[in-house]
Amino acid sequence: MLSLQLFSANPNPILLNPSLKPVLNHRFLKPQKPCQKRKPTAISSVLQWNRKPELAGETPRVVVITSGKGGVGKTTTTANVGLSLARLGFSVVAIDADVGLRNLDLLLGLENRVNYTVVEVLNGDCRLDQALVRDKRWSNFELLCISKPRSKLPIGFGGKALEWLVDALKSREEGSPDFIIIDCPAGIDAGFITAITPANEAVLVTTPDITSLRDADRVTGLLECDGIRDIKMIVNRVRTDMIKGEDMMSVLDVQEMLGLSLLGVIPEDSEVIRSTNRGYPLVLNKPPTLAGLAFEQAAWRLVEQDSMKAVVVEEEPKRSVLGGLFSFFGG
Amino acid sequence: MASIWSLQFNSLPFQPLIWGWKHRLSSNGSALLLHHSLSQRPNLILLTTNRKFLLRAINDSVSSHDDQHSQNEPLYAAKPTLALHSKHPLASFRESVTSFPPVVFLMKRCSGNNFAIGLCIALAILVVSMRAYAARKSRQSRPGSVADLVRRGQLRSDRRGISRPLKYDDPFNNPLVKVGKSNSTVEMCGKLYRLAPVTLTEEQQAIHQKRRSRAYQWKRPTVFLKEGDSVPPDVDPDTVRWIPANHPFATTASDIDEDLAQNNVYQKHGVPFRIQAEHEALQKKLEALQSEEKLNNLFIDSRNAKDFQRPFKLNARPDELVEEGPLNNHTVESKPPKPERASNSIESNLSSEETQKP
Repeated sequence: MLSLQLFSANPNPILLNPSLKPVLNHRFLKPQKPCQKRKPTAISSVLQWNRKPELAGETPRVVVITSGKGGVGKTTTTANVGLSLARLGFSVVAIDADVGLRNLDLLLGLENRVNYTVVEVLNGDCRLDQALVRDKRWSNFELLCISKPRSKLPIGFGGKALEWLVDALKSREEGSPDFIIIDCPAGIDAGFITAITPANEAVLVTTPDITSLRDADRVTGLLECDGIRDIKMIVNRVRTDMIKGEDMMSVLDVQEMLGLSLLGVIPEDSEVIRSTNRGYPLVLNKPPTLAGLAFEQAAWRLVEQDSMKAVVVEEEPKRSVLGGLFSFFGG
Repeated sequence: MASIWSLQFNSLPFQPLIWGWKHRLSSNGSALLLHHSLSQRPNLILLTTNRKFLLRAINDSVSSHDDQHSQNEPLYAAKPTLALHSKHPLASFRESVTSFPPVVFLMKRCSGNNFAIGLCIALAILVVSMRAYAARKSRQSRPGSVADLVRRGQLRSDRRGISRPLKYDDPFNNPLVKVGKSNSTVEMCGKLYRLAPVTLTEEQQAIHQKRRSRAYQWKRPTVFLKEGDSVPPDVDPDTVRWIPANHPFATTASDIDEDLAQNNVYQKHGVPFRIQAEHEALQKKLEALQSEEKLNNLFIDSRNAKDFQRPFKLNARPDELVEEGPLNNHTVESKPPKPERASNSIESNLSSEETQKP
């Protein structure tokens, strides 16, 4: 199941291709009358691949990626959405706020380059710019780890420290980053409180199982109590075959239970494990994988503060060889 | 029953009339059987060389005869095929190849070197086993790290990190994703998926928010205390978070001032605070040591003063002398500029000398 940027909720999307306009109404799934202006090639541009997304909101956008439950894919989402944003041309600083169990550096393949962390910056062992690890693949992506695995963070001003960091990043010489993405630790412990302190918006990662959903609901409640109103969710590890067999909740069921707008739907993909072990995020894979495409679309939606209006529910068998041939040529 | 060593050598000669021959070499009750036979699959169009070199220990001579028959059986079937292909250009090449003397004869000629060959093989096996043992020992030393995973081959070192830049070209043009004409299907990576509209409305979202606001009453903790601390009087108890003393990564105690930490975060240029502080402390210590040495020299020149003032340091080591010097202690306690202090002390010493000399 994949997330799609079919229809933008953004009132003024930049459309390079005017043929997109007919499909941007809200009656998209009802049978439409044939539009005379639409060219046969419009299908390839319904998905918003062929333009740069328009950045909505004030920069820097401070987004915390959280879930409550562990192991649902927060760090994977942070790495992939962060690098997707970098690929789309935005400058991104990803902060690994998982104090005890940091892993973002491993997913990004930057573990050998992390010499300084926020703890060293606070202690005065280094400057902030020395602690930022710039990714050589996409130079507008930087990683900042909050602490080394064996060190202890003085939690008394942990949240304040992140706010200082955001302020310092805003006022740095090369300009404020467009996105500051904070990878939140699991649970609602001190690390969670530290991570959500500077955030203006949140992305809630959940899987379609009841344990994850209960934690997600609780965390959403805490975030709303804390004043973070812009909360969107990413449903991760979705299996269409299990949904078809009614062994897994569908995305729409999840949405009905949590009442959050959808940022993306990520299919279960064995490539995730491979990319994790390689230290190479999915979105950089060539050829792109299903999960990588879904992460890219989620990043796209994050830029435009948009949400999904249609989800993929199940796989359909192809009608015929001839039809497949025509669809291959864009028919 | 004497054991029979039979050495079977299967090759593909292109003399159809001679399709099997034997050499029997016997020495001290053991026999060396050499079969030069032909094996050929009957349905092959192209001729393929099937050259086998089998060394088998056979305990029963009867079984060796059975094997011999079984080896020879496909020869009858292959015979006409070979006759058909004998004029093939490849055939002449193979004929020339097979005309070389068999390996057995070459080995037999070098039979004097058997001991040396065996020794080499034994040495090679020994080296391989020693190397495997050493690798296993080193592997057990640090299990679980990324470097260890790479060493064990579970991760590929050339695929980690930034060693191989792989660029996925254009994020704005993806031919693998296409939406169907009716907008009810989408084709991604060659598979067709059915779409369904999202049914969540604004009203439903608001209802969920109200439900959560009733269910979860929470204030973000702003004060972190460890067990045993008393709650400050002006602090809301709901905003206090209790951190256990043995928390794995969080601590309430900080050895650094909050304002200083903030300044450190905001620092954009220059040497970081602690590096500078350590550098200055080291420099002060060095200067103190240098001035101490000067003073010592001065005191050494005046033997009387030395004998009179420092009799207790004669038994001490030179290192301790330096560390226990009064000037060094003074630099740690107060912060006057070191050169002034040194010059003052030197001047005072000089003046004391002047007073002593006359």
